[in-house]
Amino acid sequence: MTENLSGLEVSRQCPTGGDAAPFVVTTRVDDLVNWFRESSIWYLLFATACCGIELMQTGGPRTDLDRFGAVFRSTPRQSDLLIVAGTITYKMADRVRLLYAQMASPKYVLAMGSCANCGGLFQPSYSVVPGVDAIVPVDIYLPGCPPRPEALNEAILRLQDLMKGEHWASRRKHQ
Amino acid sequence: MTESEICDRLKAALPDAVEEFESQLLDPAIRVKPARLVEACRFLRDDPSTRMHYLRLVTGVDRLPAGETPGRIEMVYHLWSYEKRHGIVLRVHLDRDNPVADTVCGVWPVANWGEREAFDLLGVTFTGHPDLKRIMMPVDWVGHPLRKDYQRPDRYHGLPTNRTAVLEQGRVQVATAEHVAKAEPVSGYMQLNMGPHHPATHGVINFLIETDGEVLRRAIPDVGYLHRGIEKISEMVGYLGTMPYTDRVDYLGAMFTNHGWALAVEKLCNIEVPRRAEFCRVIASELNRIASHQIATGALAMDLGAFTPFLHWIREREKINDIMERICGARLTYNYMRFGGVSRDIDQVTIDEIRRWLDHYEPMMLEFDRLISGNEIFIRRLANVAVIDPDDAIAYGLVGPNLRGSGLAWDVRRDEPYSIYNEFEWDVITGTGVHGVVGDAFDRYDCRLREIRESVRILRQACERIPEGEVRTKTARIKPAANEVYTRVEGPRGECGFFVVSDGTDKPYRSRFRTGSFTAMTIIEHLSPGLMIADLVALIGSLDVLAPEIDR
Repeated sequence: MTENLSGLEVSRQCPTGGDAAPFVVTTRVDDLVNWFRESSIWYLLFATACCGIELMQTGGPRTDLDRFGAVFRSTPRQSDLLIVAGTITYKMADRVRLLYAQMASPKYVLAMGSCANCGGLFQPSYSVVPGVDAIVPVDIYLPGCPPRPEALNEAILRLQDLMKGEHWASRRKHQ
Repeated sequence: MTESEICDRLKAALPDAVEEFESQLLDPAIRVKPARLVEACRFLRDDPSTRMHYLRLVTGVDRLPAGETPGRIEMVYHLWSYEKRHGIVLRVHLDRDNPVADTVCGVWPVANWGEREAFDLLGVTFTGHPDLKRIMMPVDWVGHPLRKDYQRPDRYHGLPTNRTAVLEQGRVQVATAEHVAKAEPVSGYMQLNMGPHHPATHGVINFLIETDGEVLRRAIPDVGYLHRGIEKISEMVGYLGTMPYTDRVDYLGAMFTNHGWALAVEKLCNIEVPRRAEFCRVIASELNRIASHQIATGALAMDLGAFTPFLHWIREREKINDIMERICGARLTYNYMRFGGVSRDIDQVTIDEIRRWLDHYEPMMLEFDRLISGNEIFIRRLANVAVIDPDDAIAYGLVGPNLRGSGLAWDVRRDEPYSIYNEFEWDVITGTGVHGVVGDAFDRYDCRLREIRESVRILRQACERIPEGEVRTKTARIKPAANEVYTRVEGPRGECGFFVVSDGTDKPYRSRFRTGSFTAMTIIEHLSPGLMIADLVALIGSLDVLAPEIDR
């Protein structure tokens, strides 16, 4: 007998035969580990500019990212996800690299808003990095200036999909 | 006193200092000799008939050589007297190839950062400046971006400066952190970087703090991590094109930066605003003020360890966002004002919705008070902490609730009236020293909270009295004649000023945004010695500084 439990492929077998409990739940290591990971995305509270306000609103009562196990952390050492919420300037660029380096693997980067995607409105500026993917590897690009909380919510769900496809032993997420 | 009387007064006292009185400008200016600048400033500050204790703005304009006229850098100083309610613009002309001026830090301490910015972005050297180094750009940056002939480099530390180059070189797969600058150790004291990524600094602001145990020896703010060069961009995109950029100068109070920019251009081009549009502006602005003060007070409580009030305000803010979306179609970056009105009308359904929301909101303010304002721990964390006396507040250019928290009743809406604010009944809130002395951190918090109530009063009256009519004057192409203007509005972080230089084309020659946070930051170094590290958080929170407003 197999069933789908929170997106996790689970097969239940009774070791003594028949239908009575106790059940043994068998699944793949990948599915189990990914299930843990996708249900506890701790994101770094890294609000550099306007998008940071929408990031706060997303964590707030209406959109409530906590529903998906995503809670904010103040320190990169406890975070799995770097949400780059806002413009990155050249002065800030090295600090972003440093924050990313401090995060524990596996780690993901979500470029939130036009500035983080490509420089956005500030492409003509002399001091703005044209896209955070010039500094750190980006997994999800979220367009908008700024994106609505619903959009960020969707991006987190997409990230969960991405995490489901991971192999537990792969070191995909570098250093 | 009028500007010409002030000029006569200055001429009488320092006959050889004045070069010219430029009365043709919208804000008449006195041109003084660079060598006599400090003397003139000191006179205007101290003379009993002028008493200009407030340096509103210090900035520079780069003038390229044109025909016979050699190029020059103009330094512009906007002075104001709260006491006498008059102001004047001082100006010095400097050699473009080697611009050197005397510092006025000794006259007004707030000039410190303004001069550093002119040094960084325009390359003006100030003799006698205590700490002349780059403020916005990285220390190893080459060139001065606000110079008219500035060419931006192709790369900075290997990073491409345009998107096409990023795409050509390919996305980064492996991140490295090798260029990170290390702080120089200072013997005897512990030196720490608080920021630029820190949950309590309200955006990307760095504080270099030197501590002796838990007690601060000093905290030096280090800003520029969000300097996006909006002023330079405004020179490229034109007057209307700058409007969306002003949203991003102050994203918590975008309506006010919109309004200030619109006022500046309307004054330059002499555009009238229809009466209904003024009401639309006031309604949208006051809603925005409530939303901004909510974040300010909520975030302050969160910084001090109380998370619940913040969530309550975020919930209320969502409702304001819904109304804003009805009004202008955006939740955060409104882009609502136009020259000669607003982009769209506020319909009756929305006005009824605002009224309903106000009925719901007023009890919420009491709930917020019950949650946190009377909390013993909260009061003790703020009362008697980081006291700013009125003289310091003026000398360091504090504005808005920070100034009023020190007991000085000055609100641009009432005292230099713009729009239709003088038609409504409301009070200017000042600090009263509820739980400590006047001017402490609690007073600044309290001012903001009580200002929300005043905004509610204004909103109710505006919703009641809004007339029928047009919301936008038809305007020709915006192409003001060569002139200079400075307009200000009262934003949630105080006076939000726009200095615009036009040159007869459809793009501003130079614009400078004077923001409340930029000057509020200058007082932190002065206040920090002797504070506990945790009190620094209370100080930053109570000043309500916002990174993009500092850096622009």
